[in-house]
Amino acid sequence: MENDKKHISTIGQRIPRADSALIASGEAQYLDDIRIPGMLHGRILRSPHPHAKIRSIDTRKAERVLGVKAVITAADTPKIPFCHMPVTPNKLPLCSDKVRFIGDEVAAVAALDVDIAEEAVSLIQVEYEILPAVFDPLEAMKPDAPMLYDDCEKNIASRLVRNFGDVAKGLSEADFVFEDVFELPRVASCTLEPHGCIAQIDSQGNLTVWSSTQSITNIHEELGIPLGLPLHKIRVIAPFVGGAFGNKSVILPLEPITAFLARKAQRPVKIVTTREEEFTCSRTRYAMIIRLKTGVKKDGAITFRDAQVITDNGAYNNKAQGITMVTCNRIGNLYRVPHVRTEALIVYTNNQYGGALRGWGGPQAHFAVESQMDIIANQIGFDPLDFRLRNANQPGDKTVWGWEITSCGFSDCLRRAAQEIGWPKRREKKKFRGIGIAGAVHSGGGSMGAHGPANFEEVLVKLNSDGTVNVSVGCVDMGQGSSTVLAQIVAEELGVDTKEVKVITPDTDNAPRTMGPWGSRITFIAGNAARKAAAEVKSKMLTLAKDLLDVTDTAHLGFENGEIFVRNTLAKHLGIREVTEYFSRHFGQAILGRGFYNPENTVPPDRTTGYGNTSPAYSFCAHAAEVEVDPETGKVEVIKIVAAHDIGKAINPMLVEGQIDGGIAMGIGYALLEELKFDNGKTLNPTFAGYKILNSTEKPRLHHILIETDDPNGPFGAKGVGEIAMIPTAPAIANAIYDAVGVRIKELPISQGKILKALKEKVNSI
Amino acid sequence: MKHQVRLTVNGVSHELLVEPRVTLLDAIRELIGLTGTKKGCDTGDCGACTVILNGKSVNACLCLAVEADGGEVLTIEGLRTDSGPDLIQNAFIEHGAIQCGFCTPGMILSAKALLENNLDVDLDESQVTAAISGNLCRCTGYEKIIQAIMSLVQRSSIK
Repeated sequence: MENDKKHISTIGQRIPRADSALIASGEAQYLDDIRIPGMLHGRILRSPHPHAKIRSIDTRKAERVLGVKAVITAADTPKIPFCHMPVTPNKLPLCSDKVRFIGDEVAAVAALDVDIAEEAVSLIQVEYEILPAVFDPLEAMKPDAPMLYDDCEKNIASRLVRNFGDVAKGLSEADFVFEDVFELPRVASCTLEPHGCIAQIDSQGNLTVWSSTQSITNIHEELGIPLGLPLHKIRVIAPFVGGAFGNKSVILPLEPITAFLARKAQRPVKIVTTREEEFTCSRTRYAMIIRLKTGVKKDGAITFRDAQVITDNGAYNNKAQGITMVTCNRIGNLYRVPHVRTEALIVYTNNQYGGALRGWGGPQAHFAVESQMDIIANQIGFDPLDFRLRNANQPGDKTVWGWEITSCGFSDCLRRAAQEIGWPKRREKKKFRGIGIAGAVHSGGGSMGAHGPANFEEVLVKLNSDGTVNVSVGCVDMGQGSSTVLAQIVAEELGVDTKEVKVITPDTDNAPRTMGPWGSRITFIAGNAARKAAAEVKSKMLTLAKDLLDVTDTAHLGFENGEIFVRNTLAKHLGIREVTEYFSRHFGQAILGRGFYNPENTVPPDRTTGYGNTSPAYSFCAHAAEVEVDPETGKVEVIKIVAAHDIGKAINPMLVEGQIDGGIAMGIGYALLEELKFDNGKTLNPTFAGYKILNSTEKPRLHHILIETDDPNGPFGAKGVGEIAMIPTAPAIANAIYDAVGVRIKELPISQGKILKALKEKVNSI
Repeated sequence: MKHQVRLTVNGVSHELLVEPRVTLLDAIRELIGLTGTKKGCDTGDCGACTVILNGKSVNACLCLAVEADGGEVLTIEGLRTDSGPDLIQNAFIEHGAIQCGFCTPGMILSAKALLENNLDVDLDESQVTAAISGNLCRCTGYEKIIQAIMSLVQRSSIK
């Protein structure tokens, strides 16, 4: 029977994360649950000073503690600094001559248990020569500021300038110009599972590393350099990962330290960081100051944006250059902006250094842009929703930055979120209640990496002899459900049940090379690769089935819903299992398919100007918030959040909703609660008691609206959603607070104190 | 000096020799070898180590093993029935309440303590959110976790 109209069976289904039964039963093994025979436990000695020279380190007392098997310092590790980004690398696994923040790694111990390791660490004597330190990026750029690096003038690690169109022209066309300064705090990733690593080296020098990482390839390739090992001698395995959010995507000193301890002790070593270390020494979201200038015409059209961004790099280069560039390009690309200029300074300070965290620089940029959109609308007499719709990006737009927007449901997101939150009736609401809206754009299929134009994944599909399917990918499922989505895509292509598809735990010994899950890229990039791999399997199956079904050409065969059939006949058909059984019996091999995907519709950024189209698709969304503010205490209750998302196509709506819910929770934390507080570089709140993330009682009512725009290049039309859900929540809340009590807070988090202060100033100014 | 401690964990009796400073969490994970109970902070703030001790949910990192001497402990490994996941585990799976899963064991045990201690009551959502307010989750925004537990709050559902 001809069956040209394909029956969609698994795409769009609400299927739970494939391995959630293992998690619910407690069987799932996370890093700290793994035990290797003979395994030692490591601890790291960290600098108590924000800035100091190391005069000497004496480890003799530590080495004499019973049960200590190895102590290492910079003398045991090469002086090869690392950094994932193509900028000056300056982080050593262990500091050799200088420490640059409180928590900098100085020495490490491996011992029979953690208590012994901790005791030994406390006995290491380090003589420091304390240096003056600087914690504020504005102070750090002053001529007399302490210098973190000898060769770095004004502590400026990088200056990034982008200039598209003609900002002077945009200024001359503007009827109004607005200028506001926004400040964004340093926040922690707060993955419930801390970072951890186990390293084991055999007598032949083969290193096996278990890492709570989201990118086995990054750990693999970045570890090879300090260890001086060829990559075939390093094997990296990712066990279950207890949350990552970008924060576990590249090496910390943790991995090389664990490996060097294992090499010195000649025994496996495990290090799991404490929660305090998570707060004080793992990488944070970058703190930024954004000065944003925007011109508009009386008719509501934006004429230009001009922004200055100052990023507190902290003590070492990590990902600030890429993240700050994302901040700049979001400023340039959210809404139709005909002329844009951005200048960013990335400044070293003696603070904990930053890294990747859900949304990259998007949350910072969007807080500035979407707060200011409301400021502008209110000043020029526009409804904030209408002002946004007036300027919203549309399908087919090419931005002044070079982005080529394919599918785009931004206006729909804005309208439907507004409708659901009760925008038309917002003037009838109770006193001290307010409604706000904010939009967002983010990569919907990853971006070109920092190292070149690649934005790839590779997927291998193997049919077992019984017709079930194994899928090898490098990308780690850190909880977002990517492996389930990939299983659905392969199942859909082959017409088998998703339960018959197994996505294999990533292991560099046999997995394809991966860029890893970041930039909301796995559904789009690995999803397309999975489709191609499955298509190759299908094509091979047809060739085999040709003989079995006695036809001369595969063109006479159809393949739908797991069945191969001869077109225009009723009788002849074969199931996948019949083909695989026949093939394995007669020829022995498994049927393999390889799919590699690197989008063809992207344009690498120009080396000089940065002009380019870095993502194959862009996701859009709008969040609308309803809040109630207590004017006596400044306390904000978030009543409801409506999240309308253009996700292209929801391959698994339940997982999509899960991503949105989690993004909103992190966004509410960013808006109202979260901030690492410091005193002279020392973290004042390194516990969940002092650093609040949203808890269950603070969760507002949530409402999702999924808008399917069917992206032309996405697998089944899908685009990414993981990060964008975090992004517009904070400005939507800030706008709702303004709507409720008329105060505009431009500095996150919007604490009770800031609201009370602003309310008081408002009263005094009347 | 080490102390002898007797614990019944998931119905199995264990005799342990522990230093007085060893927490119930480390006893369960390191001495008994049940790693389903997670260590997220070790300071009683995150709830990942929640177990049920003598019928009440506790943070195992805040309880010393010697304090639990003679006690009955239920960990996540003790919930599974012969026919597979128990009702609460199933509800978490089916509602998509599990993302990274690191908070899941503790979350499920907080839910179990709530439901088991209120067998004759129809619980409302505020009681559910209060019961898991000590269990932090960074992935799910709690939405589907609350939906999963709410699917079981009718009096007869877990009997």
